[in-house]
Amino acid sequence: MSGQQPRLLLLVVIFVYAALLAPLVIVLGVSFNPGAGFDFPPKGVSLHWYANFFSKEEFVSAFFKVSLVVGLLTALLATTFGSLAAIGLVRLRFTGREAVEAFFMTPLLVPHILLGAALYLFYARLGMKSSVLTILLAHLVIATPYVIRSVTAGLAGIDPGLEEAAMSLGANRVQAFAKVTLPLVRSSLLSGAIFGFIISFSDINLSLFLSGPGATTLPMQIFSEIQWGGDPTIAAASALQIVTIGMLVLIVQRAFRLRFVV
Amino acid sequence: MGESRDFRRPVWLILVGPYGLYLALLLVVPAVNIVIYSFLTYSPTKIAVPVLTAANYGKLCDAYYLELFLRTMKLALITTMICALLGFPVAYWLARARPAIASLGLFLLVVPLMVSTVIRVFGWMVILGRNGIINELLAILGLSPVTIMYTETAVVIGLVNIFLPFMVLPTMAAIERIPPSLEEASTNLGANWPQRLVKVILPLSLPGLISGALLVYSVSLSAFITPVLMGGARVRVIGSQIYDQVLVTFNWPGASSLALVVVVVTLLLVFVALRTTRRLARLEVGR
Repeated sequence: MSGQQPRLLLLVVIFVYAALLAPLVIVLGVSFNPGAGFDFPPKGVSLHWYANFFSKEEFVSAFFKVSLVVGLLTALLATTFGSLAAIGLVRLRFTGREAVEAFFMTPLLVPHILLGAALYLFYARLGMKSSVLTILLAHLVIATPYVIRSVTAGLAGIDPGLEEAAMSLGANRVQAFAKVTLPLVRSSLLSGAIFGFIISFSDINLSLFLSGPGATTLPMQIFSEIQWGGDPTIAAASALQIVTIGMLVLIVQRAFRLRFVV
Repeated sequence: MGESRDFRRPVWLILVGPYGLYLALLLVVPAVNIVIYSFLTYSPTKIAVPVLTAANYGKLCDAYYLELFLRTMKLALITTMICALLGFPVAYWLARARPAIASLGLFLLVVPLMVSTVIRVFGWMVILGRNGIINELLAILGLSPVTIMYTETAVVIGLVNIFLPFMVLPTMAAIERIPPSLEEASTNLGANWPQRLVKVILPLSLPGLISGALLVYSVSLSAFITPVLMGGARVRVIGSQIYDQVLVTFNWPGASSLALVVVVVTLLLVFVALRTTRRLARLEVGR
């Protein structure tokens, strides 16, 4: 095809990717700065701000006691809820199935800042104080649709005839599902779980309303430090999140098709 | 064969029931709670008094709110247009790239999308700040520094950056469905690339582009972190108004009516977007 178009196209593509990745690259660079300024390129290589991150109680607690715990629990529970729902949606024919499916996807459509505000007012009415639990309950709402989507895509590619064959050989329905279908959807389950974790781990709009003393997520901690000016410890904390998420997305891409989840 | 598809009722409930119940409790009930609040009377001392009123909705027609709506809608519209302009070439490139390159491209698109908004905005603050990278570069070139942070321009830069993948993903899916042979045919018939773009690719990828645009527009309408951190107090938007009313001034009835209006508008936009995508899928089946 014509040679002029690809060059122009490539130029725009390179520009867009540069702009898209610039903030992440810069945060990673700043985190290695020896000085207290947000210098890029860094004026040297030092792990000072990482050491600072691990010595500050607020950051350690936000990362390990809140974000990591909530993220893992969200992944576990969302995968349980989500895969049950996905099996029901793919394998069962019942009236209103499409309406149920649409209902299950609504958390993706409602702006998260409004969901956060709505949950805040709901908890307030119930007299529930902000805690790890209130954040977990909220994250479960927004993470489960990703699991449903991923597992639905995984199940859709599997012939139900395989289970029927297993049952004709004497397995009952549960055995047939556990021994035949489950191993085949393992990668989509894993992808769903990982995305459930990521959605929780990077959320800010819900924790904005639901964080409180003793229950501050890592993004929320970063947000308040930025507002107060802060130092490159923010960059170190951010870098840890970027690397974690980068590795997890890589796993999903290797195990499953990224396209089915996002 | 029929038997295997027909589960008895309890199985149906066990599978779909848990999340259904969960959503009813943590999405529907809080939504109803918001509807109720939106009709209560605001009281500076007691937050809300149980006197039914429509005043909270009436207030949304004040000059203050109209300005807020117009500013937010303007920023969202500009963001959407820039996203379309920049996202389309990327979507086309991704859709037509060799598999290995396309999967790398997709990875580099999804990782920024998944990293917390706060972190991406923080990166931009370092780039655009008063002593940021842009101004340092200008200083090296002997030029005077520019003020970008805490302007509407900064907010648009941030929003475009954060929501661009929402434009690229559906557009890419639409372009992938266009057989490359169609493009080749038009080239053989003498079309140059702008003609090919306008007459072949653009019309066929329009549903993807439209659904991407509606998505970007609706998420931009309710953005909060980006306008607050990059626009500061000068660039007030709907998101910052709701945040302040809930957590600062405790005007929960006011926040509720505003939130409901935004939710209804957003859901309408998303509904149209989904309809467009579905029509695209139907065209696909029809071919």
